[in-house]
Amino acid sequence: MSTKLEDFIRENKRGFDTDRPSAGLWDKIEAELDKKERQKKKHKRVFNIQLWAGIAASLLVVLGITFLYVSPGKRGKISVEDVNPVYAQKQVKFVSIIEQKQDSLQAFAKTNPELYRKFKADFEVLNKTYEGLNKGMAGSPNQQMVVKAMVRNLEIQIQLLNQQLSIINEVSQYKKENSI
Amino acid sequence: MEAVYIDKNIDLVNACRKGSRAAQFELYKLYERAMYSAALRIVNHEAEAEDVVQEAFLDAFLRIGDFRGDTTFGLWLKQIIVNKSINCLRKRRVEFTNLDGVEIAAEESADQEDLQWRVEEVKAAIKGLADGYRVVLTLYLFEGYDHEEISHILKISEVTSRSQLMRAKTKLRNILEKKGARDEY
Repeated sequence: MSTKLEDFIRENKRGFDTDRPSAGLWDKIEAELDKKERQKKKHKRVFNIQLWAGIAASLLVVLGITFLYVSPGKRGKISVEDVNPVYAQKQVKFVSIIEQKQDSLQAFAKTNPELYRKFKADFEVLNKTYEGLNKGMAGSPNQQMVVKAMVRNLEIQIQLLNQQLSIINEVSQYKKENSI
Repeated sequence: MEAVYIDKNIDLVNACRKGSRAAQFELYKLYERAMYSAALRIVNHEAEAEDVVQEAFLDAFLRIGDFRGDTTFGLWLKQIIVNKSINCLRKRRVEFTNLDGVEIAAEESADQEDLQWRVEEVKAAIKGLADGYRVVLTLYLFEGYDHEEISHILKISEVTSRSQLMRAKTKLRNILEKKGARDEY
């Protein structure tokens, strides 16, 4: 039986695939595979070092940012005393007076809850201004002015409390008289 | 039968993806002959063919993640083998283009069908072909590439590919006829 050369090859393709590489070839391939695997592991270790370096670096960055934010915070905690000791003494005095007066006012709270609530709201407005000044002191170019304003604010707080006390006194007096 | 064969390979390939050395060895055993024979047909040099096979299997196992499964593992591996074999020839500075201009020999009509071929003889005759002829003939007849694909892979024109194939076949027939004639006497 005769066939064309092309057909013969196509039909017997598998028959041509009879050559075999030498027996040691797999060992070579396996050795290379092992080598590549070790390299991969090494790469992983290197990558780990990079990872840790990255973590360390980002920690540093975070710490740096924290410090940046914390240090003005520290500056923000500058007390009045640092700026002006005389005013600081006044501040301490005023604050204790304010506390006393607030206590007295609170005594009337039960009898005049409506009035007390209003007074409290008025006082809070002043107090918020004071807190704002206190926070702004650190960044302020003129801290003396700020401290002055703070002490002035405390004075006004006392005046307000005084007025509130006298009013609430009168009101409760009036209530008492009327109830009798 | 064919389906079962493919399925078996898919399991092995999947095991390979997980890095199973046993599966890699199985695949190697399955394909070593076909791949080595193909490489040998192209490079026509045993040690170089072994290098090609080694590199190709290594590449295949290390880049098994790139194997999408749209062909069989065997075809994918064969592609790597063919590419590496041709690169190997390039390193040897084999010229794939015609030396003496492009001309297509007239299709022979007579005396084609009067020989009874034998695999070993044909194989030996192919080995006797010049590199350029042998590669085109191998890619066309054994690996099933068409002339367009051959022109791409060898970076020659399609016309050159056709004429090379024609000459290769003529030459091959001549070699076989001479061999046959020698055997007769």
